[in-house]
Amino acid sequence: MVYLVFLFLLGLVLGLIAVASNPAPFFGAFGLVVAAAFGCGILVVYGGSFLSLILFLIYLGGMMVVFAYSAALAAEPYPETWGAWSVLVYVIVSVIGVLGAGYWFVGEWDKFMWVAEEFMELGVLRGDFSGVALVYDLGGGMLIVCGWVLLLTLFVVLELIRGMGRGCLRAI
Amino acid sequence: MLKILIPTLMLLPTTWLSSPKWLWTTTTAQSLMIASLSLTWLKRSAEPGWLTLNSYLAIDPLSTPLLVLTCWLLPLMIMASQNHISPEPINRQRMYISLLISLQVFLIMAFGATEIILFYVMFEATLIPTLAIITRWGNQAERLNAGTYFLFYTLVGSLPLLIALLILQKDVGTLSMLLIQYSPPTLLPSWTNKIWWAACLLAFLVKMPLYGIHLWLPKAHVEAPIAGSMVLAAVLLKLGGYGMMRMVILLDPLTKELAYPFIILALWGAIMTGSTCLRQTDLKALIAYSSVSHMGLVVGGILIQTPWGFTGAIILMIAHGLVSSALFCLANTVYERTNTRTLLITRGMQTLLPLTATWWFIASLANLALPPFPNLTGEMAIMASLFYWSEWTLILTGLAALITIIYTMYMFMTTQWGPVPPSMNNIEPPHSREHLLISLHLIPILLLILKPELVWGWYY
Amino acid sequence: MNPYVLMILISSLGIGTTLTFMSSHWLLAWMGLEINTLAIIPLMAQQHHPRAVEATTKYFLTQATAAAMILFASTTNAWMTGEWNIQQLSHSPSTTLVTFALALKIGLAPMHFWMPEVMQGLDLTTGLIMATWQKLAPFAIIYQISSTTNPTLLTTLGILSTLVGGWGGLNQTQLRKILAYSSIAHMGWMIIILQFMPKLTLLNLMIYIIMTSAMFMMFKYNNATKINYLTLTWSKSPVLATLTMPMLLSLGGLPPLTGFMPKWLILQELTKQNLAITASIMALATLLSLFFYLRLCYAMTLTLSPNTTNTSSTWRIKSPQMTMPLATISTLTIMLLPITPTIFSLIM
Repeated sequence: MVYLVFLFLLGLVLGLIAVASNPAPFFGAFGLVVAAAFGCGILVVYGGSFLSLILFLIYLGGMMVVFAYSAALAAEPYPETWGAWSVLVYVIVSVIGVLGAGYWFVGEWDKFMWVAEEFMELGVLRGDFSGVALVYDLGGGMLIVCGWVLLLTLFVVLELIRGMGRGCLRAI
Repeated sequence: MLKILIPTLMLLPTTWLSSPKWLWTTTTAQSLMIASLSLTWLKRSAEPGWLTLNSYLAIDPLSTPLLVLTCWLLPLMIMASQNHISPEPINRQRMYISLLISLQVFLIMAFGATEIILFYVMFEATLIPTLAIITRWGNQAERLNAGTYFLFYTLVGSLPLLIALLILQKDVGTLSMLLIQYSPPTLLPSWTNKIWWAACLLAFLVKMPLYGIHLWLPKAHVEAPIAGSMVLAAVLLKLGGYGMMRMVILLDPLTKELAYPFIILALWGAIMTGSTCLRQTDLKALIAYSSVSHMGLVVGGILIQTPWGFTGAIILMIAHGLVSSALFCLANTVYERTNTRTLLITRGMQTLLPLTATWWFIASLANLALPPFPNLTGEMAIMASLFYWSEWTLILTGLAALITIIYTMYMFMTTQWGPVPPSMNNIEPPHSREHLLISLHLIPILLLILKPELVWGWYY
Repeated sequence: MNPYVLMILISSLGIGTTLTFMSSHWLLAWMGLEINTLAIIPLMAQQHHPRAVEATTKYFLTQATAAAMILFASTTNAWMTGEWNIQQLSHSPSTTLVTFALALKIGLAPMHFWMPEVMQGLDLTTGLIMATWQKLAPFAIIYQISSTTNPTLLTTLGILSTLVGGWGGLNQTQLRKILAYSSIAHMGWMIIILQFMPKLTLLNLMIYIIMTSAMFMMFKYNNATKINYLTLTWSKSPVLATLTMPMLLSLGGLPPLTGFMPKWLILQELTKQNLAITASIMALATLLSLFFYLRLCYAMTLTLSPNTTNTSSTWRIKSPQMTMPLATISTLTIMLLPITPTIFSLIM
């Protein structure tokens, strides 16, 4: 279990470094996916299995869209990977930074850990499950508003990327 | 109060509804009627209290002469502007007259206000029509600069006044002039109170204007059209004097010490601006600086806070209002014929316009305070009260009076005497409108010689 | 833009603000703000002009940042205190964070930099929505958290905004940027009184919306976006050109015009709280704004540029814009001061 947690944490940190070191968007999106997957794993370890499932689905869905989109947009002939010098400098700086911060907090890092499941010891029910039930029970109005916002977002995006020839947002 | 205010407001429909042919005649006639109606304010019972009192507007012996002067000046302004405005499109003529009328409305409410905050609002309100008159109908491009100076000098002074008034209301609980004199604020000589004291007077000192913060005035006078110069010299400067007289009562124990620098600055300014007049080449600027010089004496008279000082101040304000307005009108008659204000070019007017030369003579004599004129009464009262405070002030006031005489004679001699320059061979003869205009300025001055107690203020 | 889409966008703009008005829960208020932002974005970019797209991007980024900060701060507050109610924002760092986020949303200095540039990219109608309607939702929240925010922070934001709003507008020749700086300065006035008398904030907001709408509609009527466009407006509509001078001076807060009313009441409240120095700084800072309003007056009303026409027939096409709202609102902009007690009692 401890090794698993270590693996997840390492994966999260490495994924974040992969994004933060500013490679080509193609690889940056990949780093985001890795970070999201390992982050969800950490949530599972700390008890938020339902939350992490939802997060994983939504996040991975979003990430896949962004991934495909940026892959389509930024198909550079020579994309910068983590091996390129400009990116590698960032990678090294980030790794040193993470190690430095880790050294600073070593020994008391577990004090900052919060448990994703609040009622782990006390409750009969799982908190996140009952939260979902509450949302569907009491927050019906909220759901309608959210549905409206989804529709709105669709129109907003359509309006924004319409009119390629007239200099719309898409014409980067 | 309303019997003057409502007819004044009804001047606006008169202006906008009368036919273009009769525009100037009807507005002049109606405003003259209002002016003669306002003369009834001067007849009042003997006690020096508040009269025609309602909850917001009232008159007392201090404000009455200024109110009558305000009403008196509107027909004169309309008459004086007639020549240079009537070639314009009819709507602009109407707009111009409406601005003059709104100015009178604001001024009546300012002088008649019993709440200091209403006075403040109206004091500020006069800025807008005056700004429009100066910057819209002035002649040169520098008028924009003059308008900016005018607005910002006044506002920099008067915004601290607003804060000071609000503090006063917080401390005393009222801003009514009827009540506040019975419960003046207790002022200990702390720094806060000293700054508050300065904030209370600064707006009025800028408006007077005190020497050192007077730079807006010559600019505004030079660039303004004739009506603007007239109302500035005759009434708007007097707002400052009036406000100071109202405020200085409340500032009692502090003023005794704190007023010293201001009195000295005012008297020194009277000399300095007088000396500036001696070297002036611009006729309107000369009259403007002469206003600053006279107002210096008024500031001294008010800050010295004796009955004689107040009396002299109010008399000098009224007399100066009429005389400097008359001088501006005379300068304007010259300007409309020669299109220049330069003293070197406009010479020998006596041979060309003899009757106008008479008006020049009388107005100049009044300006230099020759004995029977009320200007002398005012200056004498102020000088006497200053002399009683400190003998040394006689050097300053006496020198100022002497310089006044010199530059006024200089102005009179340069414009009236000497050879006629060839450029002035075929100038227009004066109109009877102009003679009427000047005589309506000078007749009140001459009549005030006979009954000066009308403008003596509180101490009659 | 398709009229149905426009309908969806405009109604969402309304729904977003209304949702924020209605909600006592942070999450709903946040949702309202986000709907608001989302709905105005296509309206901003509808010209597809590079400037408009740039403005849209800047606006989206700032508003998204502000909304994320609000969400973060309210979540932290809920975590620490277990309370989602807007009025019970008792956790101090979250309060400060929310104040900063809302300041960013309405463009208070020092978070104001997006405001002039975004305004410059919009057409005048969207600019009008931007300067008026978009301020309502953040102010609904600001009003509710007014009792718990940090007074020093509010005073700093207020004074800084009035100064920056005045200074920034001084060297602008673009009318929309000038109006943006004017908006920043007015926001400063609203924020400084918030801790003492929140009702006055609302009064000031109301008067500000009236005055700014009048200015935007006037510029729209004249199709003016630069100062030098203003110089010929008098030949198109002389009455409007004349009225613009008092309208501008009212925006600058000169008595006896409407704009003096909120300034007067705010200064009075500040002096009552023994903050005479703050009041003086605020009052003198308006002079900076007044300077550029005065310059607009000069350009539009007080100088006559050389013109070709002396005939009474207009040589321009009549504007299709309705003049009745403009007439009403410009009258309100000029003449509201005498009924101050009525308005005051309406607000209180």
